[in-house]
Amino acid sequence: MKFQTASQIVNFAIRIEEKSEKLYEKLVEEYPQEKEIFSTLLKENRKNKLWIQRAYNEIVSDALETGFSFEGVSADKSLAEDSMNEGSSDSVLEGVLEREERIQKFYQDTAEKSKAFLADLPRVFERIAKKQDNRKKIIRSLSGR
Amino acid sequence: MTVLEEPIKEKILLRNYIGGEWTESEGEYQEIMNPATGKIIAKVPFSSEKEVTEAVEGAKEAFSEWRRTTPLARVRCLYRLKELLEENFEQLSRIQTMEHGKTIDESRGETRRGIENVEVATGIPSLMMGENLEDIARGIDEYLVRQPLGVFACIAPFNFPFMVPLWFAPYAVTTGNCIIVKPSPRDPISQVKLAELVDEAGFPPGVWSLVHGGEKVASALLEHPDIEGACFVGSTPVAKKIYQKCGQVGKRVVAQGGAKNFVVIMPDADLEKTIPSLMTSFYGNTGQRCLSGAVALVVGNDVFYKEFVQRFCDAASQIKTGYGLDEGTQMGPMQSREGKERVLRYIEKGISEGAKLTLDGRKAEVEGEYPETCFLSPTVFENVSSDMSIGKEEIFGPVASIMRAANLDEAINMIHRNPYGNAASIFTSSGRSAREFKYRVVCGNIGVNIGIAAPMAFFPFSGMKDSFFGILHGQGKEAVRFFTESKVVIQRWW
Repeated sequence: MKFQTASQIVNFAIRIEEKSEKLYEKLVEEYPQEKEIFSTLLKENRKNKLWIQRAYNEIVSDALETGFSFEGVSADKSLAEDSMNEGSSDSVLEGVLEREERIQKFYQDTAEKSKAFLADLPRVFERIAKKQDNRKKIIRSLSGR
Repeated sequence: MTVLEEPIKEKILLRNYIGGEWTESEGEYQEIMNPATGKIIAKVPFSSEKEVTEAVEGAKEAFSEWRRTTPLARVRCLYRLKELLEENFEQLSRIQTMEHGKTIDESRGETRRGIENVEVATGIPSLMMGENLEDIARGIDEYLVRQPLGVFACIAPFNFPFMVPLWFAPYAVTTGNCIIVKPSPRDPISQVKLAELVDEAGFPPGVWSLVHGGEKVASALLEHPDIEGACFVGSTPVAKKIYQKCGQVGKRVVAQGGAKNFVVIMPDADLEKTIPSLMTSFYGNTGQRCLSGAVALVVGNDVFYKEFVQRFCDAASQIKTGYGLDEGTQMGPMQSREGKERVLRYIEKGISEGAKLTLDGRKAEVEGEYPETCFLSPTVFENVSSDMSIGKEEIFGPVASIMRAANLDEAINMIHRNPYGNAASIFTSSGRSAREFKYRVVCGNIGVNIGIAAPMAFFPFSGMKDSFFGILHGQGKEAVRFFTESKVVIQRWW
């Protein structure tokens, strides 16, 4: 999936966060013993969504390069779709971890690409990408429990 | 392809907002077309002189109480308006795309810039403060107060239908004046929505009014003896006429006209970063803005020139043209059929006057199933000279004219030969060139590595030469000065 405009990117990022939120809601139901951890992650997704929306709505200006800042950025469409591995809990966690890695890469690439044009949006994307490190660590720690 | 939901589902009959009431006009109506889809989305009235008089009388009546309302109480109405604008941010933006054609990113940007003026005007209790000095002579003090004047008119253009009235109205009302907004009859829907929010915010009746119409309504407003001043943004011939008219009868005026903005690209410019900026500058808002780049003035040798033209044309040819509510669209249609025809005439002139049509946008390549009615694709001309129509006149569309200059001196001289002075930009990595450029160029808004030098709400929207008529500008502190009279008091007590 290829992008051009800020609106496309922001909409896509929000969808990613919403899908992640849904995914962790499901995990809370299926693995009640890890409820606290998954709840923390899904709350983070909600916060990310808010940050992205705010960063865009508050800095968007007709004079900035919103139509051209993300040319050439591409992402895997499935990031914004429902996805959860079937099978054992380890297999599920493996899928979740892999998804978090791809999300991190998406945010890193997008932040890098738009750095020169839309100051606040790349900053928020960078911040979310950095937070992914901790998320991945948490998910890894659950494997094999 | 994600096309966002349209907020206007059925044709709307637009009404005036006079004296705090929504009234159906007795004038004739004109249809408003969504320039992308070709669908009729609203009908706008051309109000009568009687309706203008009613609006002015309603505003005049409101003024006597409103000016006595404390600045803090006036500002609280604006705070409520700001909250309502945020709540309705997306709807307001989508309406602009439907009535004007601009992309959703551009519309949201316009909404934000409008809101920023509301935010700045909430500082009126500080911004409006006067000055004082004790003991100008022994036992005598002198102080200055800023007082509102009365009723103002705002005659707005079609290219930024939501934002431009907000360059003025928030400052007018918070300083204690009343304002009557006459939006462009081509795209007045977002102003109607704004007036609905003004009503909801609790401004007293008559403080902020809305009267639809064209030239006759504008004239009736300007000629009314109870209108203290006018704010106008539009073409240079009309701006000049309004300036003269107001001058003859002693009304205050901000009259912003047209433009022909030059963008200088120095050989040391970072082209990778420059090109996206230039795409926004030349083709953003489909070239229909007074800060758009019009002439790309390239300084440098043949190798640099060729590289620049190649990159510029490659990027321009890849711009996705389509319906602004499709999030992937980078350039919407022209706002009107007439606007498109005017641009086509300029392209023909360019060819007949000897310029080289390097990229032909006359036959638009539109993404999606939309009628071609108002669409154009980006156009690029080379070998343009200052005496050609496309080199000196405002085209107001997605057409870039590329010219060459031997050095920065020559580039500045070329800019100065043009009668307009709205904006000029330079792309360079040299601080010296940038400093020289901003120091010498006679234009109101200067960009350094910025394609669109649009001042923020706390700075005046400047303009020089044939692009501006008046002294004080819209936005920020200058707007506060424009809407207030300075009264000096010298006092002694025995």
